[in-house]
Order: sequence, then structure tokens, then C-alpha cells
Amino acid sequence: MLNNILGFLAESPALNSYESISTTTVGSGGSSSISFTSIPSTYKHLQIRAIAKSTGAATQGDLTLNSDTGNNYAWHQLFGSGATAGADASTSRANIVGAASLVNSSIASVFSASIIDILDYTNTNKYKTLRYLVGQDENGSGVISLNSGLWMNTAAISTITITARSNSIAQYSSFALYGIKG
Amino acid sequence: MPTFTQIGTAQVVGSGGAASIDFTSIPSTYTDLCIKFTGRLAIAARDDFVKVKFNTSSTNFSAKVLYGAGSSGVASFSDTSGYAGTVDGSTATASTFSNMEIYIPNYAGSTNKSFSVDSVQEDNQGQAWITMVAGLWSQTAAINAVSIYGGTNLLQYSTAYLYGVSNA
Amino acid sequence: MPSTYDKLATYTASGTPSSYTFSSIASTYTDLVLIVSAANPTNDSGLLIRFNGDTASNYSDTSLYGNGSSAVSFRATSATGMNAGRTDTGISTNIVNVQNYANTTTYKTAISRGNDSALVITTVGLWRSTAAINSITVYDQNGRNFNNGSTFNLYGIKAA
Repeated sequence: MLNNILGFLAESPALNSYESISTTTVGSGGSSSISFTSIPSTYKHLQIRAIAKSTGAATQGDLTLNSDTGNNYAWHQLFGSGATAGADASTSRANIVGAASLVNSSIASVFSASIIDILDYTNTNKYKTLRYLVGQDENGSGVISLNSGLWMNTAAISTITITARSNSIAQYSSFALYGIKG
Repeated sequence: MPTFTQIGTAQVVGSGGAASIDFTSIPSTYTDLCIKFTGRLAIAARDDFVKVKFNTSSTNFSAKVLYGAGSSGVASFSDTSGYAGTVDGSTATASTFSNMEIYIPNYAGSTNKSFSVDSVQEDNQGQAWITMVAGLWSQTAAINAVSIYGGTNLLQYSTAYLYGVSNA
Repeated sequence: MPSTYDKLATYTASGTPSSYTFSSIASTYTDLVLIVSAANPTNDSGLLIRFNGDTASNYSDTSLYGNGSSAVSFRATSATGMNAGRTDTGISTNIVNVQNYANTTTYKTAISRGNDSALVITTVGLWRSTAAINSITVYDQNGRNFNNGSTFNLYGIKAA
């Protein structure tokens, strides 16, 4: 019996460095925002993987950290909209632009996709830099962009909030938070 | 074998800075490599390049780079020096470090090595660099070492993490 | 916290296949990550994907690329496949993320980045179907075969 137990332990596989922390899926009626709170500090990096849609006209889901809504953010973007390749920027602002792109509710069944990467999210020597790839295609319109966001605060990230700039985040929008060890 | 796992330990630049961050003796037992890098350079400028070496070599590199520089627009250029991205310099917004991911599929295989780099450099001003790199190292040797370096030292707290991705 | 990022399937081309299909994809994950490192015998070409064997005009995409001299955006509409990267005579790197692939309420959106020796590209693609994805076919835009040794790896990420 003891030998069998030891054999089982010896065969247990090492685990990935990539772990699921929590998931939020928006229910009926939509939601003005989604939040990840009490984020554990035991990882080195965070990743959010999302699909998103608006309850009304197309809008942006803008991101804030640790409930900070002061003008402590900057944002830059590289984008392609089919007709145009361009870049954009905004500084000393109250949030990070478009971490989720909320697709017009009139475009049935189409959701955007986002992948947001935050490295060293608990490092108290660094401001926090986000890198995120966002896109939606609507068979005749749409945009793909690689974005950067800056939170000018060295605090460890414990809360992430994505807020619809207008209307609400629609039902079935889903946001999954992952932690990566390092 | 786990699918996505850290190899070794994080490489953190200490006080006084460092000319490079180096991963050596990389085992050949994974399928792909993924490096996550957050960096800042000593150069007296708001931004500057970083490059990579494979197996201590800075030659036989080629790349196509797509970049957006915020208020300075969007463009593309070619490179043969191992360019990996643009990161914060010492006069950029304080305490700000770049966010970069390097992905090298089939790093231990016997063909030339294609790799991708997505990198963002932030700064609380109109211009900041977002780059996507299509990289190629025209060598068939398995990669057993990767270095990240700039034209000046990497500053304290610059950090890189190496992960192996396994299809086994 | 539950560990995730699991290998689902892998294929290394033996010979020169015209395509490769991942089939019987389990519906138990949240997202799929497809890594394709491929070459063809001719020149720079698009890497396309199809889902569930659907060859109808149910795909569209928006892309942004740099070719060393210009940054360009383009679009494909009502297409028979989705742009997902590049391949050429050298080896390429393509990373395709298919989000919420088993969701039967939404159409399927994939975001990808790819590169070969000619350009770097990022794409968002749409498959206008609410069916759960159970297969992915990878093929060349110009009908070229993949070189021997091209690799195709599929991973699953499961949200808690």
C-alpha cells in the first residue's frame, strides 16, 4: 500500500506556470462594468482573455486599476481598420482606452476579442505597463490594434475594472483572468 | 511534462545596471520558448532599442518591423541587427518599463529560427513605441542561449522570464 | 488556482500536405491557441484557417501588416477562409487565439499574429457561426503545400 502511494506521488506531473484565477460572464441585462478584485499577489504576470459586446452603440471598455480614476494613465495604439493603418495616443487621462472593444448590439452575435498582458504586476518599483491585442471584425468593418497602457503608480495591482464608456457591457461578454508564475 | 512552465529563475538587473540579460544552458526538451521582458535603459533619452542574440551570436538576423509611435505615426522598416523592440530610456516617465514578449517556436530544431516579438514602450507623452517584429535567425543550430541587450546598460529592476512550451 | 494551458494535439508534416486538420477538438476548454510554424516551396503567402469543415463564405477579417517599407491595413469579407498568418519558403511563426471557441451563443472571433521573412501581420477574424468549434483546418491561401517538417500545435486554455 505504501509503495503504491509513493508510486502515485512520483508519477504526479509538474504543473504549468499558467493558472486560471477567476472568470466573469455578464448576465442578462448587461453590466456597466466588470471587476476582478482581491487579485492574489502570488504570480508575476497577469493575462486577461475576453470577448465583449455593447448593449447599444459600439463603444469602448476602458480599464482602471485599484479603483484609481485619477488622471494617472496613458495610452498608445497601433491599429488597422481595413482602409487605414494608424497610431493614436492619449496621456494624463483617467483610464486606459479600449481594453475591451464593445461591438454594436445591432450586429448580431459578433463579439470582440482581447488579450491583455500585465508583466510584474506586483512590483512596487515599477509603474504598470499593459500590452493588449484587441480586435473585432464585422464582415465589412472592424479594427485590429496592438495597444499599450500605463498606470503611473508603483502599487501592486489588486483590482482591475473594465467600464463601458457608454451603454453597458452586454450579456455573454466574458472576461477570464489568468496568473503566470515567475 | 507541463505545457507552459518557467525555465530557471527570473533574471533581474541589480543596482548598477547590466549590459544584458542572459539565459544560458537552455535545455532542448521543450518545443517553443517564450520570454517575457520588462526593461528600461540607461540612455539619456526617452526610448531606445533592445536587441537579441542567440547562442551569443548577433549575426545572421533579419527582420521586418511594424511600429506605431503614437503621435509620430505608423510605419515599417527592415533590420539585420537582431532588433527586438524599443524600450524606455532614463528620461522617459519615471519608473516606467517596457512590456515585451518574444516567442521562438521550434527553438531546438534543425531549421532556421523564426521568432516573433510584440513590444510596447510607454511614456506619458504623445510618442511611445509599439512594435511587432517578424524575426529570423538564419542558423540551424538549436538555441541554447538568449541575450537581451541595448546600446546602453539595462537599468535596475529590468527583468526577464523564460518559459518553455511543450507539445509532448 | 487550477493550472491550465494544455497540449491538445500536435502534427509535424511528413511529406508535403496541402492542409492539416485538427479534429474532434474537445469542448471543455475556453480558448484555443494554435501555433503554426510552416513553410511552402514557392514564396510569401497567406496562412488560412477554416472551422468545422465550413468552406462557405462565412469568414471575414481585418489585418494590419508591415513589410519593411510600409504599414498597410486590409480587409476580406464573405471569404471562404480566415486569414491567420503567413508562410513562405523560410520558416514562419504564427500564433492564433480562438476565444470562447465552444460558446454556442456567439459567432467566433480569432485574433492572430504571424510573420515570415516578408512581413509581420496581425489579424482579427470572424466566423459567422454559433456552432462550437470542433475542427480547425489550416491551409495555404494560394493552394501551396506545406513543406516537410512544418509544425502545427494546438493548446487549450480553460477558465475557472
